[in-house]
Amino acid sequence: MAESGADAGAEDAAPAPAIGTASTRPLAARLAELSGTIVFRIAYLAVFAFLLAPFVVVAGTSLDASGAVVFPPSGVSLRWYDTLLSSPDWIRAARNSLIVAGGTTMVSTTLGVGAALGLRNVDSWPATVVTGIALVPLLVPGVVLGVALLVFFSQLGLQQQIPTIVAAHSLWATPLTFSVMRATFARYDWRLRDAALNLGASRPRAFLEVVVPNVRAGLLAAACIAFVVSLQEFVMSLFLSGRETRTIPVMAWNSLRNSLDPLVSVTSTLLVVAVLLVVLAVGVTAGLERIARDT
Amino acid sequence: MTTPVLELDGVTKRFGSMTAVNDVSLSVAEGELVCLLGPSGCGKSTTLRSVAGFETPDDGAVRIEGRDVTATPPNERPCTMVFQNWALFPNKTVQENVAFGLKMAGVSERERHERAAELLSLVEMSEQADARPEELSGGQKQRTALARSLAPDPDLLLLDEPLSNLDRKLREAMQLEIKEIQATLGTTMVYVTHDQDEAFTLADRIGVMNDGRLVQTGPPSDVYTDPDDRFVESFLGTTNFVECTVAPAETPQRKPSADGGLADDRVPLETPLGSSLAAPASDDLEPGDRVTASLRPERLSVSVDTDADANTADDPGAFAARATVENVLHRGSTVRYELTVGDATLFTERRMADRLDVEPGDAVMVRCGSRDVSYFGPAGARV
Repeated sequence: MAESGADAGAEDAAPAPAIGTASTRPLAARLAELSGTIVFRIAYLAVFAFLLAPFVVVAGTSLDASGAVVFPPSGVSLRWYDTLLSSPDWIRAARNSLIVAGGTTMVSTTLGVGAALGLRNVDSWPATVVTGIALVPLLVPGVVLGVALLVFFSQLGLQQQIPTIVAAHSLWATPLTFSVMRATFARYDWRLRDAALNLGASRPRAFLEVVVPNVRAGLLAAACIAFVVSLQEFVMSLFLSGRETRTIPVMAWNSLRNSLDPLVSVTSTLLVVAVLLVVLAVGVTAGLERIARDT
Repeated sequence: MTTPVLELDGVTKRFGSMTAVNDVSLSVAEGELVCLLGPSGCGKSTTLRSVAGFETPDDGAVRIEGRDVTATPPNERPCTMVFQNWALFPNKTVQENVAFGLKMAGVSERERHERAAELLSLVEMSEQADARPEELSGGQKQRTALARSLAPDPDLLLLDEPLSNLDRKLREAMQLEIKEIQATLGTTMVYVTHDQDEAFTLADRIGVMNDGRLVQTGPPSDVYTDPDDRFVESFLGTTNFVECTVAPAETPQRKPSADGGLADDRVPLETPLGSSLAAPASDDLEPGDRVTASLRPERLSVSVDTDADANTADDPGAFAARATVENVLHRGSTVRYELTVGDATLFTERRMADRLDVEPGDAVMVRCGSRDVSYFGPAGARV
């Protein structure tokens, strides 16, 4: 996010001389350009509205006073929020989701960092192959992975366990953290690491002292992506979880099968808000750091 | 004889099919400041990185204080380095940057604080101790990097073009400061630069590198006045190169020199200057070989008389030719004269105070003593 902001700044600066000549151009050309800009902006906003509309509907239905899922809500009430928060099943699902997401974040960030470090500056065909293989899980449908993992873990006698869900989610999150960390390390000035080694720091020490603090934004972004991927993953969790280990999306699906009430809207709303908060927190931290570094 | 602080023994480093450093041998004595000088891509930085341990030579050995460190990881070598971009840790303050090496060595917090303060005062950076690197100017970053590298009291300090990111005025001031600090602390230094003025200002000894090879090593004045190789002559300062051909076979003439002894044997050359030059006789030169003569602009004398024979009788290899002033360029403290001599163009410079009263189109005489012309054979070696 921060990166694209910087790029936009550079583009703003580049056409500056053209602006100076704008007043000498005929009025018609300027009007055409202006109307083009307006059309573009309206189209842009329309796309945004289209993307955000479902969320508005879901959030609206979660506030419904009656027991039906209708939009616009017939009356505003928080009673379904109350019902949800007093349901032990939902509380357990939320706890499971957080544990799984936390575990996935740790596993996939560690693996992603390790892989990105290992393949840094390696420019041979095995490296290309390894990179390709690392990205494969992203391309395999969740249903296929879910079934495969269910069979695999059943053989090991590990059904309906939290660690199996963490493993499944890590399969999806690691390629993403790996890609983010590769990009992060590609931008990092490795002479800083050299300088630390040169001053007597061991490799692990140099990594902790001068690499980690300076790639914090990338690390946070990778962790954030892993967390969100895990939090919203449904298909694999459906196959791998049991009564005790249900995550929120699985719980929502189960409750939908029984009855269509605003409880599902409430969970969805809370899930979206939780993800937004995580992204916002990371964005602010990383953004502030960037501001601090660039000035 | 004492053990040299640094010894490179036939160090060779290849990247794929490219040989970045080719059989470099160099020995640096205690307290000495050696500059590795060469154009970019000549292998000087790779040589330095091999000393620091960031590159492992494919061949040869690196010894520091007599200990073979060729395979030692960088963090276990008793040398520190000032990087070209200074590589200050952006997440640490100036003081923490300077104390970093001591922290890694396990020195107590109080002690390293004292040592850092001492070094910061040496480089006149005490006031910025709590600043972050991004708040510093280029010169201040440079000082901090220098203090940081000196803090662990290394046996050997490596500097990789530390001043190349500074503007000229600051660069010149920092050169003198580095020299002063070196004199105060007596630290042995290897300094890599592509800037010959910097090398001449700083170095006790210069090693000129080209194409991965260490072409010539010696005190600055020797390297300048007595180059071994055509590359050294062209890289240090500016010169007039004149392409000549060894004249058809003739027995080298022995002429009596002014003091009654015998002058050097000389081989006459065909030149485009409309006047002959004569290279020192050498077994390697065959008639028809191409020889490059170098006439340093500061060694050329220009006068408005047109008597071709004056002053040449006592110096048989001397060069004298009629020339036409082509252009007069005022360059601040000096004036440059471009002269057409035969089919070639030569240039010479005079200080403003000694400038000649000539204009483009004037006829003048160009002269150069026999010892002031250097000759290089077909392969570039000095004749």
